[in-house]
Amino acid sequence: MKRRVVITACSAITPIGYDKRDIIESLRQGKSGVKPLRDDGLLTKHIHSRVFGTVDYPIEYGFKRQYRKTMGPVAFYACQVAKDVLQSSGLSRDYITSGRLGVAFGSTHGSPTVQRDIYKTFFNDLDSKFSSIGAVDYLRSMVHTTAVNITRMFGITGRVIASSTACTTSSQSIGFGYETIKYGMQDAMICGGADEYDTTTVAVFDNLLACSVDYNHKPHCTPRPFDAGRDGLVVGEGGGAVLLEEYESAKRRGANILGEIIGFGCNNNGGDMILPNLDGITATLRLALESAEISPDDVDFISAHATATKMGDVIESQAIAAVYGNGPLVTGLKSYMGHTMGTCGVIELILTLYMMEQGFIAPTLNLDNVDERCSMLRHTRQLTDTAIRIAAIQNFAFGGVNTCLLIKNGSEADS
Amino acid sequence: MTRDELKDKILTILTEDFEFEKPGLNDNLRNDHGFDSIDAIELLGKIEIILDFSLTRDEKEKAMEIRTINDILDYIEGIVQSRNKQPTSV
Repeated sequence: MKRRVVITACSAITPIGYDKRDIIESLRQGKSGVKPLRDDGLLTKHIHSRVFGTVDYPIEYGFKRQYRKTMGPVAFYACQVAKDVLQSSGLSRDYITSGRLGVAFGSTHGSPTVQRDIYKTFFNDLDSKFSSIGAVDYLRSMVHTTAVNITRMFGITGRVIASSTACTTSSQSIGFGYETIKYGMQDAMICGGADEYDTTTVAVFDNLLACSVDYNHKPHCTPRPFDAGRDGLVVGEGGGAVLLEEYESAKRRGANILGEIIGFGCNNNGGDMILPNLDGITATLRLALESAEISPDDVDFISAHATATKMGDVIESQAIAAVYGNGPLVTGLKSYMGHTMGTCGVIELILTLYMMEQGFIAPTLNLDNVDERCSMLRHTRQLTDTAIRIAAIQNFAFGGVNTCLLIKNGSEADS
Repeated sequence: MTRDELKDKILTILTEDFEFEKPGLNDNLRNDHGFDSIDAIELLGKIEIILDFSLTRDEKEKAMEIRTINDILDYIEGIVQSRNKQPTSV
């Protein structure tokens, strides 16, 4: 059994906005969400990169203590976007709790804020403060904290998939959610990811010389995907969720179909855990096309992973060129907000859905001089008013994990 | 500490830290206020601070029989009596 899977609701908390209108305006106006890295009182002074994709606007969560007690900051993002998609979906409480709806949601490493507090207790006055390690600290910090706080808050009793594969976390969540519905194991899935403000991740990339450092005094000028002057990635924070539903039942209940997932490719490089791998990435892009049973010519737009690292963008360009030539327009959406880690896949998919609906493609920010090694692609250099029929969302992670999601415009679901 | 003083302390904890609304002494903690096993563990940590000593595993397991605020007060008084020691952090 192979069933069609559609996206019927979405929500994203991003460095360029939470409200859909704010995000679209940022994309249309070329506004960056990269800000100075805020001080954590611990690591910041040792980190060379002083920029961060920052969520700096207030969010009214309104969660009761009953739920807050098991939530670290990452779960606040996760539950908020999950709440949004459930509310806008119009699904009944009976359906949500029926077991027909599952959750595929993850984060890079749970809540580092809570983990840091635990370690502080361990290393300072351990004897007197041991009892202050709360009974709920594990529930707040564990790697599947986002997924199970969502199930708990909304009484969801279906399957739980808690992907945690760094930068492919949420694209895997969506891909695995898609396959779960496609092959009949669930009728609907809430899929996505979240990652909170965390300087540990910045420090790791900083030590790998992969973080941007040359634009500390003008944060909005970095990251610079595909640009000759790029100098590395910018870590960011955020959360995003999509509701996937089996097409026939979504149509029957009159759900608003935003898009259709038509293909998913996922593989591993089978070797180096850090360096990008041309063969592995190229194979992933082809796997997605085979899964969707479409040709490369059918794809109008590629949301590239494009972190703005020196080698990553070159390898991705070569892979895109090998599979697509210079047909589809290519944008690196991280240029607007940095790399939101485990969240990037779902955020980039949601931004693509917004552009599909509005009929435009945002340009890659800060792409002033295309690196000649990336110049074989059809880069989006300026705001382009055009319809997107089919788009690819590409993400690659430490550990050699690669993903590619193919989505079709919701207005074409019946065609 | 008198029972009334202890009651005030526990009610303060339940309203401020556990966000109980209008707690009654004989309310069922779980049914009326959504108090669950996670809360029970957290509350025991706060009781240890009131008593200024650590509860033994046996003493903690006895707390699982608690159903109401009056039960909490009985539990604390029982612990103090059995140890023949008064709370010191009051």
